[in-house]
Amino acid sequence: MVRLIGLFAGFVMMVCGLAFPTNVLTHHAFSSEFDADRPFQVQGTIVKVEWINPHSWVHVDVKEDNGDVVPWMMEGGTPNTLLRAGLTRTVLTPGTDIIVRGYQSKDPDCEPKCRGSGRDITFTDGRRIFMGSSGTGAPKDGSDPTEK
Amino acid sequence: MTKQTSLITGVIAAVAILTTAPGWADVPTTSFGKPSLEGQWDFKSATPLSRPERWKDKEFLTAEEAAEYEQGIVERRASGAESEGDVREGLDGQRDVDVGYNSGFLEIGTNIDGSLRTSLIVDPPDGRMPAMRSEARERNAPYVAMQGESPSGPEMRSLTDRCIIGFNNNPMRSGAYNNIMQIVQSESAVAIHVEMVNDHRVIPTNGGPGVASSTRFWKGYSVGEWDGDTFVVTSSNFKQNATPYGTGPNVKMTERFTRMDEATLQYEYTIDDPETYEAPFTARQQLRRTDDDVYEYACHEGNYSMPLVLRAARKMEDDGTANKDWMPSWHKR
Amino acid sequence: MKAKLLACTVASLLVALTGCGQGGQSSAPAVQPSTPAGPPDLNGVWQALGSAHWNLEGGHAIKGPATAVLGALGGIPAGHNYVEGGEIPYTDDAAGKRAEYRAEWNQWDPAVKCHIPGIPRQTYLPLPFHIVQGDNKVFIGYEWGSNSRIIHLDRPGTRAELPSWMGYSVGRWEGNTLVVEVTDQMPDTWLDATGTHHSEALKVTERYTPMGDNHIDYEATIEDPNVFTRPWTIKMPLYRRVEDNARVLEYKCVPFGEDAVYGHLRRGANRNEPTVKNLF
Repeated sequence: MVRLIGLFAGFVMMVCGLAFPTNVLTHHAFSSEFDADRPFQVQGTIVKVEWINPHSWVHVDVKEDNGDVVPWMMEGGTPNTLLRAGLTRTVLTPGTDIIVRGYQSKDPDCEPKCRGSGRDITFTDGRRIFMGSSGTGAPKDGSDPTEK
Repeated sequence: MTKQTSLITGVIAAVAILTTAPGWADVPTTSFGKPSLEGQWDFKSATPLSRPERWKDKEFLTAEEAAEYEQGIVERRASGAESEGDVREGLDGQRDVDVGYNSGFLEIGTNIDGSLRTSLIVDPPDGRMPAMRSEARERNAPYVAMQGESPSGPEMRSLTDRCIIGFNNNPMRSGAYNNIMQIVQSESAVAIHVEMVNDHRVIPTNGGPGVASSTRFWKGYSVGEWDGDTFVVTSSNFKQNATPYGTGPNVKMTERFTRMDEATLQYEYTIDDPETYEAPFTARQQLRRTDDDVYEYACHEGNYSMPLVLRAARKMEDDGTANKDWMPSWHKR
Repeated sequence: MKAKLLACTVASLLVALTGCGQGGQSSAPAVQPSTPAGPPDLNGVWQALGSAHWNLEGGHAIKGPATAVLGALGGIPAGHNYVEGGEIPYTDDAAGKRAEYRAEWNQWDPAVKCHIPGIPRQTYLPLPFHIVQGDNKVFIGYEWGSNSRIIHLDRPGTRAELPSWMGYSVGRWEGNTLVVEVTDQMPDTWLDATGTHHSEALKVTERYTPMGDNHIDYEATIEDPNVFTRPWTIKMPLYRRVEDNARVLEYKCVPFGEDAVYGHLRRGANRNEPTVKNLF
């Protein structure tokens, strides 16, 4: 149990750069863009994907209950990881319906589009992507012990 | 001993010496006779920088222990990824926005360093980072504190948020993603290109003079020379807050690149700043050759995040809700 | 007899080991030969002179946006015409767009924002660059913006999966000339400061030919059927920086471009009045 916590802390430290002092802890501060008190879950259709750095952006037309279509853009991570895994063409293609959970921007005005963090993405048939096992087409993130 | 026997013995001895000497066997060399440092190099590592407490007196893992450790990481990550989709009990949205995007974008190391060491730090001998002086913490504090404030402009965000430098190069160190670099080499210069924020250095191989102390660069100023089969790079003159490991204006960083074999580049760096750390420290890592490409990382060009942050700050000021909550929550600890 | 066998074994071992130690180059496909003497040596620090980055078609000196603040140090100098044939062959639509951009160029020019200029403009921006020539790759590190690119000599006929600001460069030797084909550039860059723009269809073919030890003849052929009626070529010398210990220094321009990009979002500014156009 202690070992588990130790390893998890190690993982967090590597991700967050906590092992290093001061100016090295420069993991991108989503918390400065997005509001933890504004969680959302929306469903919509991918309009386009900007595979750019420092973060990719997935543009989604979200259908509201009243029939309105509201444009959103969701922030992801560096696309270079997905490029190396050969995934940019196959995942998140325009026209695909997805469900996105995340947190809305601290500036909630939807000008020109609503903005949110893309915390996780699920297809409407329940398949989750980027959720771990490479069997679902997720990139090599180390979760498959048979991959090296 | 007969003449024949001593001749054979001599030959065997020569072979033994030659095959164990570094630089022999399968180190690729350039057409101008130096070891080749060229290629794409993966610097992901699951070996911690500083030796953790549980391995306090243990400098090396056995192969079995290393495999077990790696398996543990993989299992924890898999189970963590599985539960990512569920709402976790007791976790609030703050944790989600602290590390906002899903695991597919991460490229974190799952392999222990090829040396099987329990830390990347090889000196001091206990494998741990030397203590940071309190004066250094005080010197560095304003840069951190500034980032917690509502930003009046882009200068109040970190150098990485501004896309001026990356957070895993100079020196190169394993982080969350973009842990890859490329080296192209000629007789007169070595080019090192690290993916994050597209940072590169072109280092002439003939040494050369440094620059005046008042001349400061975001990437520092590097001079390089071959020392036998090792390319040694000395860097200094970093701008404030762009120094390695929170060091100060007089830091000297020495990097050593040694090609070990076709698949391995040994990368070692020493950070020497007595104004910051109580002792110099040296880390060493075996980088793995990869066929993966280093892709362009046009950071500033795609930086939607900065205007989003600034717009949020202006909005909150208008609404009277401005706060000092602009850093991830781990900073508050 | 036994001793002879042992000696033979040892001798063959020695031979085998000797073979291993020699120049083990990487296993990438061989780059085709250029001249019998091998490719020319383009290593070093180089720089374009002149005003191509202001205006490829040249002209007389004019005031610029900086003149108000810098006086005589802030004018835009006269320049040669670097375009073979003298005129850039815009389509009618593109000529109209270029005129619009040109009228307010510093509000539109992506270089003002410190955006990566792409090829060919990165070559002739007025700061040096360092060519590091390997056997299978050529790396160029540019001082302006601290930008860089890799030219692949070992990937003929390939394209990139996604566009990038510097594009994707594939090179080959033709005799004494390094020929580089640059494709897949982002459409958001300009070729000079007068609004010479392009689309995602842009293809640039560069030719680097040494002229003596300290000069390179640089030519770039621009093709983009969405913007130009035919391919056109620019040509200029590149000059070696011959001072002792010449180095490319650092011009990371983000801090200089931040006012242009974010100025309107500073505390106290009018956020509805950005100083530049074409922001996201």
